Amino acid sequence: MIAKYWAQMRAVVRLEMKKTFLSRRGLWVYLLAFAPVLMFAGHDLSMMRTREERRAIAAAHPVPAGALLSIQPGMTREEVIARLGEPNVDSRQIRFGGGRIRREFLSYTDGQSRYVFGFADGELQSISVREEETFAQDRLIFATVFQFFFLRLAIFFGCVGIFTNLFRGELIDKSLHYYLLAPIRREVLLAGKYAAGLIAAVAIFTASAALQLWLLSLPYESSLSGHEISAYLGVAALACLGYGSVFLAAGLFFRNPLLPAAGVLIWESANLFLPSALKKISVIYYLQSLCPVVASPHREINPVLALLISSTEPASTILAVAGLFAVTAVVLVFASRRARRLEINYGAD
Amino acid sequence: MTPPPVEESLVRFENVSRFYGEVLGVNRVTLAIPPGITSLVGPNGSGKTTLMNLMTGLIRPTRGSVRILGVTPEDPEKLFALVGYSTQFDAFPKGLSGFQFIYSFLRLFGWPREKCERLSWRAIGRVRLNDAAHRKIAGYSKGMRQRIKLAQAIAHDPRVLVLDEPLNGLDPLVRAETIALFRELAAEGRHVIVSSHVLHEVDLISDQVILLSNGYVVAEGKIQGLRSEICDHPMQILIRCNRPAALAARVFELDSIVEARLHADGGGLLVKTRDAGRFYRLLNHIALDGIDIESVAPADDNVNSVYEYLIGGEEPGK
Repeated sequence: MIAKYWAQMRAVVRLEMKKTFLSRRGLWVYLLAFAPVLMFAGHDLSMMRTREERRAIAAAHPVPAGALLSIQPGMTREEVIARLGEPNVDSRQIRFGGGRIRREFLSYTDGQSRYVFGFADGELQSISVREEETFAQDRLIFATVFQFFFLRLAIFFGCVGIFTNLFRGELIDKSLHYYLLAPIRREVLLAGKYAAGLIAAVAIFTASAALQLWLLSLPYESSLSGHEISAYLGVAALACLGYGSVFLAAGLFFRNPLLPAAGVLIWESANLFLPSALKKISVIYYLQSLCPVVASPHREINPVLALLISSTEPASTILAVAGLFAVTAVVLVFASRRARRLEINYGAD
Repeated sequence: MTPPPVEESLVRFENVSRFYGEVLGVNRVTLAIPPGITSLVGPNGSGKTTLMNLMTGLIRPTRGSVRILGVTPEDPEKLFALVGYSTQFDAFPKGLSGFQFIYSFLRLFGWPREKCERLSWRAIGRVRLNDAAHRKIAGYSKGMRQRIKLAQAIAHDPRVLVLDEPLNGLDPLVRAETIALFRELAAEGRHVIVSSHVLHEVDLISDQVILLSNGYVVAEGKIQGLRSEICDHPMQILIRCNRPAALAARVFELDSIVEARLHADGGGLLVKTRDAGRFYRLLNHIALDGIDIESVAPADDNVNSVYEYLIGGEEPGK
């Protein structure tokens, strides 16, 4: 009997696979999933170009060693040029302020950082150093993008698109009855459709996460540890598992699944401000607990709102993974009960 | 092989009612349908599709019970090994060819690939769609879509075949072939339950008829009892073709033609006849004589008048 159910599930997955991967309705899922890839690719290109430019300039017009660090405010323009030579970066700017003050900016590079010296009427007033980005900085940026865009928005809405369509999309297309007229238990049908959605979602979002991680390491000699990489990929897959079950159920219970999706989004977004006990009744709490780098949103948040943020100890890895599986199982049980009572009444749907 | 007990060879409705909110679907229906061709006949909204959906578990009765050869629709694993249903919905899973459509849904039975392929080709052959089997269904004509649905319903060799308006959109030749297929299936001892809103249409093919009106069964029984009365009632048919005027000249070869007039859009002919059977046979000849017939569809919206005629205008028992 189990062998028969497996065969039936595989048949459902085969039927659904093309729809979940290649549906015209789902093109935006790819855009959402791969938007961070484009962002990191753009960042890499820009960074590598800047780095090459600086190194080429420094090689062509070397600045004496240690001279850049010896420049102090109060020095005159001539003193600076005497020590460093003419600016080696083509970015000299001259402006005239409201009080007819002559302002000038001289830029230099040692091949890594860029130094911009600001003069007012020939006297050095400001020194700005734009250091080359480091892997540690980019790692933190990745963690922030992953937790606050990729998990909360990209995978969330991607799962809305993929999983709500598994049943609701076919009710709209008036083709669900073909499944319901086959000698297959509704629970097996639901499991097959969920598996198809999960395969598609995991493939799309872990591929995107893997590409982002590759692009993160590309400009640097160092890279994330194998543990960190597998943690990010695992969290992306678990997010698909958890959100997928929620939105599969939403497609069965609600005529317009966008309403429950909006409700879940509000709940998940408000997670930061919820008391500790309520935080734990969400998918994002367990997912963030599993992320290898803690990305704090506090810097981006209004200080008044920051006061409302409650901090909660992250769940242990075992508890977080078990919690996600438990939430998924409970939601799928409710969904399969609903599927068992499902009637075809396309007119009303 | 021992024949099944009588109880298990019937499709049974026991005092079945189904309401859609406050709207009546069917009410207090008690039926025992034996093997052979049974037609559910009634105007739109009379409850034909509701009865068919109840038989196949797509909807559940509000009251009463349904059993198909002893199996309840609540048990899809057993039920759909016995039942094939071609619905009225003209929708298909996207992107599939005719063959893929039948094959993919046969795989849901859990059968091996070779068996599913064999059954798919057999079903496609029975509805004569071999040449179009590898084309996408999205490119099929209405008649081809009807036939591929029929093939899907019969592919697993069901003992009970439920067909909702299966002759809609078929041209005369295919209609005749399809009717022959129904007869063949019924002769093999199967239940072939067909719905139609045109009494004259099913008159040609049915062993028994169930007349429905406003959700009630108003008459049921052997077709012979109703036939003579039906024949007296003229039926209106719309024929879409390339030369409606030439067709009009031909149809008056039959003395049973009461009226023929060109359709307002100039692309068809409305014919009123007292003998639909003879008219369809004549159409077969006309189709072979060079008039390009695109579709033939009963245009008699006044089926209620047939009911009033048959049941003396009596309101169904409410």
